[in-house]
Amino acid sequence: MKVSWYGVVLALLCAGIIHIIAVLWIPRIAPRNAWTRLSTLADFNTLVVLPRPSPAHQSLPLMAPDMRYAICRYDLSRGPVRVRTSIPDELWTIAFYDPSGANFYTIRGADINRDEIEIVVSTQTNALLDDETSSLVGTEDSLMVTAPQDRGLMMIRAPLAGAIYAERTESALRQATCGRMLPGAQVAR
Amino acid sequence: MFRSMPTIVQFVAYSGLAVAVGLSSAWYMVDHGSLLTTGRSGPWSVWSLAGNPDADPYTRAHFARQGRLPVTSTSALYYSTDRDDEGDRLTAECDYAIEGQPLDAAWWSIAAYRESGRLIPNKAGRYAFSSRDVARSGDGSFRIVLSAQARPGNWLPTTGSAELQLMLRIYGPRAPRDFTGERHLDANLPSIKRIACP
Repeated sequence: MKVSWYGVVLALLCAGIIHIIAVLWIPRIAPRNAWTRLSTLADFNTLVVLPRPSPAHQSLPLMAPDMRYAICRYDLSRGPVRVRTSIPDELWTIAFYDPSGANFYTIRGADINRDEIEIVVSTQTNALLDDETSSLVGTEDSLMVTAPQDRGLMMIRAPLAGAIYAERTESALRQATCGRMLPGAQVAR
Repeated sequence: MFRSMPTIVQFVAYSGLAVAVGLSSAWYMVDHGSLLTTGRSGPWSVWSLAGNPDADPYTRAHFARQGRLPVTSTSALYYSTDRDDEGDRLTAECDYAIEGQPLDAAWWSIAAYRESGRLIPNKAGRYAFSSRDVARSGDGSFRIVLSAQARPGNWLPTTGSAELQLMLRIYGPRAPRDFTGERHLDANLPSIKRIACP
C-alpha cells in the first residue's frame, strides 16, 4: 500500500478534531466523577458531613486525612437554597461546583469577617422569579450566589489545626444547614 | 470491486490512525498534563488552573476523571508527585526522607496515598503531616520519613510493595503573585530523597 501524504494530513486533522471532542466530553461522561461518587451519599438540599477520610472509607480519591468535609447537593428547580454555617477558623473554605465538577464560586474564611455566614444559592431565573422569594433572599448579611444550572454541589472544607481539633471541627460542621427556602418562612437572624 | 479494495484499506488505516492519535494524545494531556496546563518543580507537579472558574478543558477533564473537587489556586495549591528527586517511582518497598523549609502559607499538609488515591492502612493511624502537627527543627525546617518500619520523629507509615503518590496541599498560600495572578511556592517545595531500599 502506498502512503499518501494527503491521507496522512487528513488523518491528523481528524485526529485533532477527535482530540478536542474527547477532552471536552470527558467531564460529562467521566463515569466516576465527584458528582456520581457523592450522589449515593447525600439527598438533594441536605447537608451531609462526610465520614473522616480513612483507608476503609474515602468518599473521593485523594481526600485530605487531616481535613473534614461537608457537602450539600442542591436542586434549585423549586426555588433557592440557603446554606448556613459557622466559620470557626479562617482556613475554612466554601466552594460551589456544577455537576461536571467545575468550580464557579469559592469563599474563604479569611475573607469573611464574621463568625457565621448565610449563603443563598439561586439560578438567574428563580432569583427573579417571585417577590415572595426575593423578599426572603434580601437579608442584608446573606451572600448571594448565582448558580449556572439547577443542580450542583456545595462543599465546606475544614482543615484541622491539629488532631485534637477533629471533634470540635466535626461538630461545627454538623451544625451547618442547607435547605430549600420555603415561601413564607422567616429568615431567622 | 477488486480494484477499489486498496482505497478501503487506506480509508480504514487512516481512520485508525486518526482515532489512535486523537484519543491517545487527549488521554496523555488530560492524565499527565502538559506545558499548557501544569507547572513542575523538582518531582512536584501542579495544575495551575485547578478549581479555577476559568480553568481550561484539560484541567476540567483531569479533575473530573479523577473524581476530585479542587478549590481555586488563590485558596489552595495542590502539588502531587509519584516520583522522588531522582525521578524514580515512589514505592512502599523503599524509605524516603521528605525535607523542607517552612512554607509561606496559612496551612499545609503532606499525605501519602496508593496509586489509586486511597490512603494507606497502618496501625499508627497516621496518614499525613500538617504544618500544625509536624515536628520541626529550631530553624522551622522539617523532615518526614516515609517508611514501612517505625521511625523516630515524623514517621509517615507505608505498607506492602505498592507504588505510592504524595500530595502536598497548601492552604492560604502567601507567596507573591506573578503577572498572571498565580501564586508560586515552587522554589521552596520539599525535596524527596530515597534513603534505603531492600
